[in-house]
Amino acid sequence: MTLEIACPNCGTRPHREFAFGGEDRPHAGADPATEFERVFYPANVEGVQRERWYHALGCRSWFVVTRDTRTNRIG
Amino acid sequence: MTPGPFRFEGREVQVLDGDTVASALFRAGVRTFSRSLKAHRRRGLYCGTGECPNCSVTVDGIPGVRSCITPAAAGMRVERGRGWPSADHDLLHVADLAHPLMPVGFYLKTFIRPRFAWRMAERVIRRGTGSGPLPLDTGTPRTVARYARCETIVVGAGIAGLTAALEAAETGERVLLCDEFAIGSRLAPGPTLDAVRALEQRVRATPAIEILERHAALGLFDGPTVPLADSAELVQVRADRVVVATGATESHQLFPGNDLPGVWLGRAASAMAALHGVPVGRRVVVVASTTEGLEHLRALVAAGARVVAALVPAAFVDEVPHETEAIVDGELVEARGHGRLRSVIVHEVGERRRIACDALVLSTGLGPRDELARMAVNEPIRLVGDAALVADEPGLGGGYLCLCEDVTLHDAEQARAEGFRSAEILKRYTTATMGPCKGAMCSLALACFARGRADAADARPDARPTVRPPLRPVALHALAASVHEVIEKRTGLHDTHVAAGATLGWSSGWKRPIFYADPTEEYHAVRERVGLMDVGTLGRFLIAGRDATTLAGAVFAGRVDDLAPGRSRYVLALDEGGYVVDDGLLCALEGGSYLLTSTSGGAERMDARLREWAERLGLHVHVLDRTSELGAILVAGPRARDLVGALTEDPIDAASLPYPGHRELTVAGVACRAIRSGFVGELAFELHHPRSNGPRLWSSLQQAGRDMGVSPFGLEALELLRLEKGHVYLGQDTLPDDTPAKLGLARAVDMTKPWFVGKAALERLAELPLTRRLAGLLFEGAADGAGLRGAPLTAGAAVVGRVTSAERSPALDRAIGLGWIRRGRDGFPNELRAGDAVARIVPTPFYDPEDTRVRG
Repeated sequence: MTLEIACPNCGTRPHREFAFGGEDRPHAGADPATEFERVFYPANVEGVQRERWYHALGCRSWFVVTRDTRTNRIG
Repeated sequence: MTPGPFRFEGREVQVLDGDTVASALFRAGVRTFSRSLKAHRRRGLYCGTGECPNCSVTVDGIPGVRSCITPAAAGMRVERGRGWPSADHDLLHVADLAHPLMPVGFYLKTFIRPRFAWRMAERVIRRGTGSGPLPLDTGTPRTVARYARCETIVVGAGIAGLTAALEAAETGERVLLCDEFAIGSRLAPGPTLDAVRALEQRVRATPAIEILERHAALGLFDGPTVPLADSAELVQVRADRVVVATGATESHQLFPGNDLPGVWLGRAASAMAALHGVPVGRRVVVVASTTEGLEHLRALVAAGARVVAALVPAAFVDEVPHETEAIVDGELVEARGHGRLRSVIVHEVGERRRIACDALVLSTGLGPRDELARMAVNEPIRLVGDAALVADEPGLGGGYLCLCEDVTLHDAEQARAEGFRSAEILKRYTTATMGPCKGAMCSLALACFARGRADAADARPDARPTVRPPLRPVALHALAASVHEVIEKRTGLHDTHVAAGATLGWSSGWKRPIFYADPTEEYHAVRERVGLMDVGTLGRFLIAGRDATTLAGAVFAGRVDDLAPGRSRYVLALDEGGYVVDDGLLCALEGGSYLLTSTSGGAERMDARLREWAERLGLHVHVLDRTSELGAILVAGPRARDLVGALTEDPIDAASLPYPGHRELTVAGVACRAIRSGFVGELAFELHHPRSNGPRLWSSLQQAGRDMGVSPFGLEALELLRLEKGHVYLGQDTLPDDTPAKLGLARAVDMTKPWFVGKAALERLAELPLTRRLAGLLFEGAADGAGLRGAPLTAGAAVVGRVTSAERSPALDRAIGLGWIRRGRDGFPNELRAGDAVARIVPTPFYDPEDTRVRG
């Protein structure tokens, strides 16, 4: 499998340069109940998902990518 | 190719120009090239294109080499893998006589009860089967893994592939063209080769086409990605489009005797005659139902083979050379012979006829080699050339369906009678198509068999068995290519350590001194005098910007906003599950910035974590990784202040540079940031300096410390020093689900902060009792600590913990350690056993619990 991920700084690069950071679940403050939901109940969607990637072997920036979890199509 | 003979089972075999291993052996009279996997039947040259299993031999100790596509070279050592005592006289041939007694699924049916029967049978079966022993003494050839990107990958560099590559390049695409052989190398001189050469010239003149010859495509994965392998590299090709131009193979016909040595596919026979000058037999019968078959017939005749009869369709009669008897619309019924072909039985207009011959050449149709295209769905794949052909259906008259696995048509019939009906299920039950040829010969025949017998009960009669990678035999060392890609990280003092004779070892990607001479002596130097250690491996991060404190407060579980410039604090980083993932020392700088030192192995994780939360929280922060730019030397021991003081004018007394704190110093003319650290449990200064000044600073410290008995120390002494202080090595002493409380590090967490990463989880976990914790262990009855590492901790018969670190402590004159203990019904235990030793649970640190020496 070879995903290609578009880094906003470096352009489209093979996925082995990146680290996966899980679903994008925006941090919404310090309320314990919403925090707990956010941390422990991922949506785990079958379909298009917003997820976080880190360009570890590149510019080391974090950004959000949309990927279809069924087909691995990105963007 | 190198001229000169090679060795074949104790004799010399002459090699002529252009010979393959197979052609040289055949010229030398070898007819049995291998013994079949299960039945030990004789197998001779058959496909000649590297697609069937028959010609596989052991070359220079490497088993499974396809001799028909391997150029012969002087000095090779060639053997046949199977057969006992030899492939020519194989006593295990009795297995073939017993074939009728060994139905499909024989192993499964026969050795299932009693259970031990399989273990005994397996020993016998393993000795009789297989392709020969794996070479274990050849060393590990170095291969590289690389990644390639193109818009179109064309697999197969025949006429169709070359044309497709040129077409794609003309539309402005970057093209990668690969073939498992050198372009044109498998073709005899003739119009086809001329056409290939002309196209090849144009392809080579096109800069947009990258050519990878002798690279076999192993499969097709999503992306689409096509991995290619040769003996030296593994290339992962990511493309937008895949063009499969892998051609076709001549159909494998099923009739009794179809696996006898002397039965050839047309391409193999004509190449042997035309390219290598060996007529394939003295009396040859040709079955040619295609125009390609006619070409093979002519090539054989031209090369001097005596073709006694040719079975051809009526339309070809005039094309048959006059010295050959043309049998029109005849049907090949059977090949006969014991161990080699003696005659064929032919039906001619209702009449049965026996023709004596020693070679039967079959050219009856083509089956496309379209496996790549059948490996994936929803990928942009285009088949071109012969690979796009509709397959000619092979005859199914009997004999061997699968040459690799010795599956006969009768076996397939039987399997079907037992209820295994579809090609996919027949494959699993009979193991047909699972051998080294990956179904190149038999997959089509198996599918035709399944479809031909299908009735209304079969859901998908047309389905072919799924194709699986690797499509071509590939050396394990090629698949392991990336294993060799190890980046060795070195500090600026690496050469200094080497010159000092240090024993270096791996430590989380770095090469570091384990010890210089005697680790115990190094330990005593630190405890009693002063020691030097290269700690340039520590992660160093500058966190700056107006939200630096907010970021540090979010990422670390402890309080940070009260940290005054010049002071430092031990910090823990948790993940969102509340588990400890990293620790470090946070040093507050003037102006609201921070310098963070993190563990050597966790530096990259720490970097990612800082940047992640800066981005997620939208903070105005710069994270600057200074790890590779800064060196660091740890000066530790009761005389550390004397040593550093001798080389600096700056004040370093306890008031000017307190513990825990830091300041800028100039030591031996080198600008440093000195951090008071407590890891080894003595008065200690970490001197962080520009990397290139490291060797100068190191030698100045060595010289100035000579009278104080200074000694460099390595990781082994450090392990002892930190364990006496009860400091935890994240990763060694910890598990992935360790909360601060389990590690006894709750003091590094401030639950009054409104939020930090992992707080929500810690709040929930706080409601649950602590079931497991890391504890200090004091061993009785164990002279040496090292033997206890990893030992289970037991209470009676129950295992209730595990030792994670253990050493013999010189300070306590006892074996000490850290380990996991589980809470029992009556709380945590006070005493456990580790093997023969008693492990008493004690508070840590073992050494200097008040930290008076650290504060010095």
